[in-house]
Amino acid sequence: MKRNNTVLNRLFTVLVFVFLYAPILLLIIFSFNAGSSNTVWKGFSLGWYRELFNDRIIMRSVYTTLLVSLLATVIATFAGTFAAIGFYAMRRRKRHILTTVNNIPMMNAEIVTGVAMCLFFVAFFALWSDFAAWVNGIQTFFELPTRLTLGFGTLLIAHITFNIPYVILSVSPKLRQMDKNLVDAAMDLGCTWMQAFWKVILPEIKPGIISGALTAFTMSIDDFIISYFTAGSSSSTLAMTIYGMTKKRVTPEINAISTILFGTVLLLLVITNIREIRQEKLEQRRQKLPTASPAEAAQYARRPNSRLPKILAVGAAAALILCTTVVASRNAGKPVVNICSWGEYIDESLIDQFEAETGITVNYQTAESNEALYSLLKSGAGDYDVIVPSDYMISQLIEEGMLEELDYGNIPNFDLISDRFKNLPYDPDNRYTVPYTWGTVGIIYNTTMVEEPITSWEVMFSDEYAGNVLMFRNSRDAMACALFYLGYDVNTTDEGELRDAFDLLKDAKNRGVYQSFVMDEIYGKLEGGNAAIGAYYAGDYLSMLENNPDLAFVVPEEGSNWFVDAMCVLKDAPHKEEAEAWINFIAGTGPNLANMDYIWYASPNEEALESYPAYYEECYEEELEPEIFEIMAPSQETLDRCELYLSLPAEIRTLYNDLWTELGI
Amino acid sequence: MKNKLSHLATPYVIWMALFVVAPIIMVVIYAFSAADGGFTLANFSKIGTYAVVFSRSFKLALIATVICLLIGYPVSYMMSKEGPRFQRIAMVLIMLPMWMNFLLRTYSWMSILENNGLLNQLFQKIGLISLYNSIFGTNIEYFRMINTSGAVVLGMVYNYLPFMILPIYSVIVKLDHSLIEAARDLGANNVNVFRRVILPLSLPGVLSGITMVFVPSVSTFAISKMLGGGTEMLLGDLIEQQFLGGAYNPQVGAAISLVMMVIVVICMVVMNRFGEGEEQAVML
Repeated sequence: MKRNNTVLNRLFTVLVFVFLYAPILLLIIFSFNAGSSNTVWKGFSLGWYRELFNDRIIMRSVYTTLLVSLLATVIATFAGTFAAIGFYAMRRRKRHILTTVNNIPMMNAEIVTGVAMCLFFVAFFALWSDFAAWVNGIQTFFELPTRLTLGFGTLLIAHITFNIPYVILSVSPKLRQMDKNLVDAAMDLGCTWMQAFWKVILPEIKPGIISGALTAFTMSIDDFIISYFTAGSSSSTLAMTIYGMTKKRVTPEINAISTILFGTVLLLLVITNIREIRQEKLEQRRQKLPTASPAEAAQYARRPNSRLPKILAVGAAAALILCTTVVASRNAGKPVVNICSWGEYIDESLIDQFEAETGITVNYQTAESNEALYSLLKSGAGDYDVIVPSDYMISQLIEEGMLEELDYGNIPNFDLISDRFKNLPYDPDNRYTVPYTWGTVGIIYNTTMVEEPITSWEVMFSDEYAGNVLMFRNSRDAMACALFYLGYDVNTTDEGELRDAFDLLKDAKNRGVYQSFVMDEIYGKLEGGNAAIGAYYAGDYLSMLENNPDLAFVVPEEGSNWFVDAMCVLKDAPHKEEAEAWINFIAGTGPNLANMDYIWYASPNEEALESYPAYYEECYEEELEPEIFEIMAPSQETLDRCELYLSLPAEIRTLYNDLWTELGI
Repeated sequence: MKNKLSHLATPYVIWMALFVVAPIIMVVIYAFSAADGGFTLANFSKIGTYAVVFSRSFKLALIATVICLLIGYPVSYMMSKEGPRFQRIAMVLIMLPMWMNFLLRTYSWMSILENNGLLNQLFQKIGLISLYNSIFGTNIEYFRMINTSGAVVLGMVYNYLPFMILPIYSVIVKLDHSLIEAARDLGANNVNVFRRVILPLSLPGVLSGITMVFVPSVSTFAISKMLGGGTEMLLGDLIEQQFLGGAYNPQVGAAISLVMMVIVVICMVVMNRFGEGEEQAVML
């Protein structure tokens, strides 16, 4: 009966493994790529590994991931084992109810668990702040912190909560397999119940505990969705960092760190397996030699390296304690600033420079779009100090009283900002904002994939390039494309006009014009020649041009949007001073030049903007083409065709949201 | 003695009440409240418009689950028939991919399936595309694989297949071989042994495998965003959009989550009726 697998059966199994490992192999291979692409091989290099160790954001998130997974696993293993024993000792009915509740986190969709916890924490924090204020009011012995936020603590709680069920699930069967009389026998022979636990129960269920802990750790490392909703603004796990990148380009540094993690686990597993196999062989040999001399038997009986697991366990525990103390000491009392910006929207060396100059630690996260940022702020999940929203979102935030007035005395570099970008409609008296970048929206197309140069928004809605067009995945920009094409005011509040624009989009979508709805994923798609046309921002076009010289950019003849993204501080931000220090630093000419060079968005800093062509020549020893500079910082003539988005009334915003969801269906 | 031991569970029971039950109550409260805090049923009235999304999500998740079962069951069965050393290695190999972050693995599929991706490049090199063109008289430069529902299903199967294999395998490998021998002695042939002995006994593993594949598939949002291109919205996307995406409306999001939760629970309860009473999910 055993071992009658045919060749065909084996082939099937092998194919399944190929299917499981092909993408992983690919990731590993491309971590050694000299180029930055995930599809084109440019020669062997270890460069990404070198860069990895200099990348503070990735290293920090790896560290957070390992720490949270280790802590959660240890705590969940203890709690889960005790809980399983407790359940085992309960009456059937009670146990049944509790096991059902225990299964909820596993049966429930991860997104619901994440969302539920997020809602719960936010509600709890609100209650807490009232409670703490009340306690602080009636006594003066100690002061409770009134403001709690999502962060490492909530992340850890969430991980423990979804880990415990896995531990219980693998410990419970072992308990059930255990002979019930063993415990009674031990106690009849004089054990206390504590001794019975240590000497009888624990050895019986040990394999279950180990496999439970391993499962929990694996789940913790791999988790993304629950962390996404509970991590808040100050900590990000590796998965969250990767998610931020999958929208643009995943840097091969991520391949490199994953290869290292993967390799480490593989090595550990290989070592334990070899050990087990060797032990098995010894066992077999011992059985074959029943008449061996006592000395020989003793030699075989002694298990080789039986101290190794203990050493490993002690080592892991020591590392854990060390990590925790390092974190605790590092974060104690050190000034921090929590920033939320957009993907690939800063020269990351500026963060290091700022940290070195001021000693303030920067927690840098990214949001996907203005609307996503708004949701993040509203839900309480995003507890940032500095944000960099666009014009129309700024006025909405001001209207809702979500921004703090800035103390411009702390931001002397504000004077360097060109007057063109001060007192704009979104912040008429300029009390809340310091501009970060500005630019235009237009159509990016691949000249090798279109018949003739594109000049009009029409291509976004016609069948000519159906299946090759990329549309914005945010309501304001997508609707604007349609509104411009129809010749309506882009800030219209007329429901009929908005419906027309929506119908145009919906119709084009149904005809299959759009290959996909994208935000930063547009990078990979246009650079790789996977799509011909996409509407996006000028600065990003210039970034893509570096990787694909066939791309062209046009501000359509019907007009388009020009935008300003500005730095603001959120109401009651806990680190306002640090936030203003950051804003002042970024508004300076040096950082503006570095940023312009890195992200290709035009700077509002007059001096930086004017000196950029010279700066470019100095850096790259070639002239900056005037056409490129024009796309980056368009002339007044082009800007005259463009309009700023203005904030819309609440009922129109609701309409936008409804239409947007309807478009998605 | 027994009662004393049962106190060991008390801390966890409190923990569950706080972090499992209370959050779900929060979802229920949100689902029934208006933006200004009052009681309302309006959030559910919108659900009708999302019926398409519901049916699409459940359809894709169902397809993915069936494919996982069709691949996972034979693999588990064959693994259980190999030698112990092979079995151990195979188990490790199935768990190991989870150590490469799932977003990254999915991203890797993106670069394989793109119009200009590795697979299409391969097809071009071996002349498959020109062969296809000459047979069907078409003029395509690539096979469209990414941004289709097929790619989303592939992503689900790829990511959740281990969750199908592990429970089934762990049940099959523990089967009592004397039962199989007894069946043979009583004259059953291979097919009958499988159908009347092995299959019914492995049912608990199959059921928990189905749960562990179906639930994450029905609620995924990262996979559909990366491989589906956002043109076909799934339930996960819809919920994410209400909470953290463009259309901020946590009340409606909670209502959708609640409805999804209820449907999933009903599915599971109905399915577990086929299983044996108290038998619970088996993982390892």
